[in-house]
Amino acid sequence: MEHSEAIQLMAAEKYLLDELPADERDEFEEHLFGCHECAMDMRTASVLLEQGKAALAEPEVAIVREKDKSRPGLLSWLRPAFAIPAMAALLLVIGYQNLVTFPQLTRSLNQLKVLPAITVHLLTYGNPSPLVVHRGEGFLLNVIVPSDHHYPAYVADLRSPAGRVESVAISASADDTWSIQVPGANRQSGTYWITVYGVTAGGQNVKVGVDSSFQLQVQQ
Amino acid sequence: MQFHAFDSLYLEQLRAGDFRTQEHFVSYFSELIRLKLGKRLHSRPEIEDARQETFTRVLSALRRDDGVRQPERLGAFVNSVCNNVLLEHYRSASQEAPSAEEEATVNIPDPALSAVDIIANREIQRKVRHILDELPEKDRRLIKEIFLDERDKDEVCRDLGVNREYLRVLLHRAKKLFKSLYLK
Repeated sequence: MEHSEAIQLMAAEKYLLDELPADERDEFEEHLFGCHECAMDMRTASVLLEQGKAALAEPEVAIVREKDKSRPGLLSWLRPAFAIPAMAALLLVIGYQNLVTFPQLTRSLNQLKVLPAITVHLLTYGNPSPLVVHRGEGFLLNVIVPSDHHYPAYVADLRSPAGRVESVAISASADDTWSIQVPGANRQSGTYWITVYGVTAGGQNVKVGVDSSFQLQVQQ
Repeated sequence: MQFHAFDSLYLEQLRAGDFRTQEHFVSYFSELIRLKLGKRLHSRPEIEDARQETFTRVLSALRRDDGVRQPERLGAFVNSVCNNVLLEHYRSASQEAPSAEEEATVNIPDPALSAVDIIANREIQRKVRHILDELPEKDRRLIKEIFLDERDKDEVCRDLGVNREYLRVLLHRAKKLFKSLYLK
């Protein structure tokens, strides 16, 4: 199937709607896999439909009104018997939010702080400057990686002064400094070693750079 | 998703296991393969198995000396490998023992989502919601009942007083609008 024919037929729309006969569908697919424009178009449509389904699946709030002469009309809710308790309840809610909820939220926001961080370089052996953390506090380990490697995935091992090895998640990125958010735990002060591995398609771990160390000082 | 020419350099990088090229290759063809398989297979596990098998065979073929000879026909090659995988599925042929080379290439992952992808996805969701919100109620209902509820298309068109051509044009316009927002 030629590109112009696919456009004229609205083959992409028919394909998505399962309206193409089998032979035309096969011909369109043959074209689709070889035509960048149609492939992009199909990829975009697929995203649209997947996200559209997710959006449309969210529950809608439906207001169903039933006309019933025996029930009081809308304006009956404005009678003092209903309006005053309703307003009192509203005032209570507003008061609670202003006096309790918002101050709590503000205190929580003010308590947010940046994690302690240290940078290590996988082409040298360590960072001698200590990283000071409070007991149980997590920290950020920024790892400068060499540039001559490309693996589908990466993992990292953190070895404590006692020799205990902990696997930590490493976020690879396009630049040469990657981040490891080390979770808070009951850690001891001392020398820690970080080793980063590239994971090959076959699942083998290949060390990237050298083991690199840093000093952790844990304050009580 | 930027276009990469399927040329000799691309194939060399793919053969050498270059991470970015491999990531692009899987990302480019995954959705096309899923769409193709989804029209012929009925369960997600079957579709996923066939997708993996297709990629495994293509990557194995690339590593052979007599593998893909015409880089510009890489797409057609992927399509034909997928067809072979489907044929075998239909015949329910007994699995031959995989070669050592193929065993090394199991588990082709889905294109992984990074934190940037998650944020980008949220932006996409916002754009899709915007498009859906702009649609008249009838059109929104048409899309929902056909693609989410998977009702019979003729029934839905009849209920809403439209024909299949209307449905195609609606889909075409939504796609065009989303593409203009998605690619910004």
